[in-house]
Amino acid sequence: MTEGETVTVKWRKASIRSAKDTAVRIVGYIILFILFAVLAAIFYEIADGALSNITWQILTTSNTFEGTTGGGIYEAIAGTWMLVGTGLLFSVPPGILGSLYVVRAKSSKTLSSLVRLFTDILTSVPSIVIGLFGYLFMVYYLGWGFSLIAGGIALAIMMLPYIFRVAELSMKAIPVEQIHNAYALGADDFQVATRIYIPQALSGVLSGIMLAISIAAGETAQLLYTAGWNAGGLPSGFTNNNLGVGYLTYIVYNGLLQGSAIPNATNLAYIAAFVLIVTILVLVLLSKSMNRIVKKLSQIMRGTR
Amino acid sequence: MEQLNPFFNLKNFSFKALILIMALVPAFIIASVVTFLLYYSFPSIIYNGLNFFTSKIWNDGSSGVILHNNGISYQSGAVYGIYPLVLGTVLISLIALLIAFPVSFFVTLNVELYMPKKIRGTLISFIELFAGIPSVVYGFWGLLVLIPWLQNTVEPWIGTHFSGIPLIGGVFTSEISGRAYYPGQGLLAGALILSIMIIPIITAVMTNSFETAPKEIKDGIYSLGGTRWEMGKYLLVHHSKAATYGGALLGLGRALGETMAVLMVTSALLLVPSNLFSNVSTVAAYIAAQLDSAFFDQSGMTTAAFAEAALALMGVSLLVNVIGRKIAGRGVLRGYQND
Repeated sequence: MTEGETVTVKWRKASIRSAKDTAVRIVGYIILFILFAVLAAIFYEIADGALSNITWQILTTSNTFEGTTGGGIYEAIAGTWMLVGTGLLFSVPPGILGSLYVVRAKSSKTLSSLVRLFTDILTSVPSIVIGLFGYLFMVYYLGWGFSLIAGGIALAIMMLPYIFRVAELSMKAIPVEQIHNAYALGADDFQVATRIYIPQALSGVLSGIMLAISIAAGETAQLLYTAGWNAGGLPSGFTNNNLGVGYLTYIVYNGLLQGSAIPNATNLAYIAAFVLIVTILVLVLLSKSMNRIVKKLSQIMRGTR
Repeated sequence: MEQLNPFFNLKNFSFKALILIMALVPAFIIASVVTFLLYYSFPSIIYNGLNFFTSKIWNDGSSGVILHNNGISYQSGAVYGIYPLVLGTVLISLIALLIAFPVSFFVTLNVELYMPKKIRGTLISFIELFAGIPSVVYGFWGLLVLIPWLQNTVEPWIGTHFSGIPLIGGVFTSEISGRAYYPGQGLLAGALILSIMIIPIITAVMTNSFETAPKEIKDGIYSLGGTRWEMGKYLLVHHSKAATYGGALLGLGRALGETMAVLMVTSALLLVPSNLFSNVSTVAAYIAAQLDSAFFDQSGMTTAAFAEAALALMGVSLLVNVIGRKIAGRGVLRGYQND
């Protein structure tokens, strides 16, 4: 209801009105219950399928979907982290430095709002479009082949806006007076950035990075045609990694398509999905509690605890 | 706050240049993706024209028989039309929104009106859990649980009780003779999975906006003897109208571009859907499913056609998302709340 607007309300009988209230409440409870039942069903299905088969051996064995036993998911776990790490390499610098530009008082306001608009746009590029672009441009046009770098950059395109946004938000939360004072004392932009923005916004920056990792670890469509798939070994360099790089989401995607020809394929998909979900939940929790963690750590480091 | 150092500060100058360049990276990425896809899809845009969006047939042509015309090469008899995919994408996304929107609305309203403050935060972070599950896991669950349920329970039940009703009931067979019908893997399966995925986005936008409702009016309504529902109806819904539409658009934008979950629960077939259970596919899912086979076309026209489809998908998705974000505000990222 905006200011100055009047809403005419005709009060009906109290019993009818409270009955309506109760009806809405009950409908809400039922929908909430169904929603959480679905969430529980998803978690239960994955956990049930995974926990009955998960062994240390499967997590540390190579050659997914191969051999007489169906292999393990070692390459996929390591490969996921290598791809995410490569993605961080390409998304953290533009994410943090870009947000430093946007929050800097003397930056052009028009350009800053354009930068914000473009990062917003970046979050809404469909993942398969990034995948197709990576395939046509990096894998074929630049001749990198299915590789760590092609998959990593495809992930970085998706991670960058999250790192940027969360960093920007937490830098904006720093009291303006503090920054004004620093400039008044003769600090230059570099000093303000390294002594005020980054240390003060550290927990926010880290929590954005955690969020970005949790999203990147669960991506598939970008990687299908950029990272390829390889369960025979880990990549030794950035480009032309033979058949590509293994990653967990591929196993989840392909496990049920392997049919009965590959023993254990469905179980591997369950386990990969379980490992993924647990990893992502831990990352999201870390991201949410980063504020507290950083505070604790800095207390310990300063010896004030 | 001018720099007091009278000498040229090289370190600071290079730092400023560096952050400016880094700030331009997102724009550079968008520009290069659009430019490259335009460049790559150019033969297809010339060859297919507007037919691309209206034709129901996608045919790579006879393999190996390459014709050249005005500098464009294509396989003899090649026709590329994404009409069924466009229709499938729009229908799946809209049905998903139709399911997700009322659910999000009632959930948010219920949490906001009837839940004690202590539980509220926990409930909202539980809903945020949905946003963290990767789309491929949703697809996996859809294949394991949802599809068999639709196939063994819902479809036979509809078939026996509602067979005469158009759009819902009907023949659960393939519309094209000689092609098998894949039970369960249809419009409804895709829409259901997508609706679960976009609920956290819409809920997050709505919760954000509900919380900004003026407290004075809230108290005023209660003191006039209004019930909680009346407070929601007269204040919250009114107050959050824009955010509600914006949230719906953001959800729609996510649904349009979603790939893996839809790919896994629908069959990658080019069919014009005739009812709720028809086998369909979406632009994103079809690209993901068929891109590797496109390279058998030596003329490159099939790949160009996929690039054009991706470009169109990107255009529509960006438009919906940018408008949604303009209306809803920027406080929400992919269903996670930011403040």
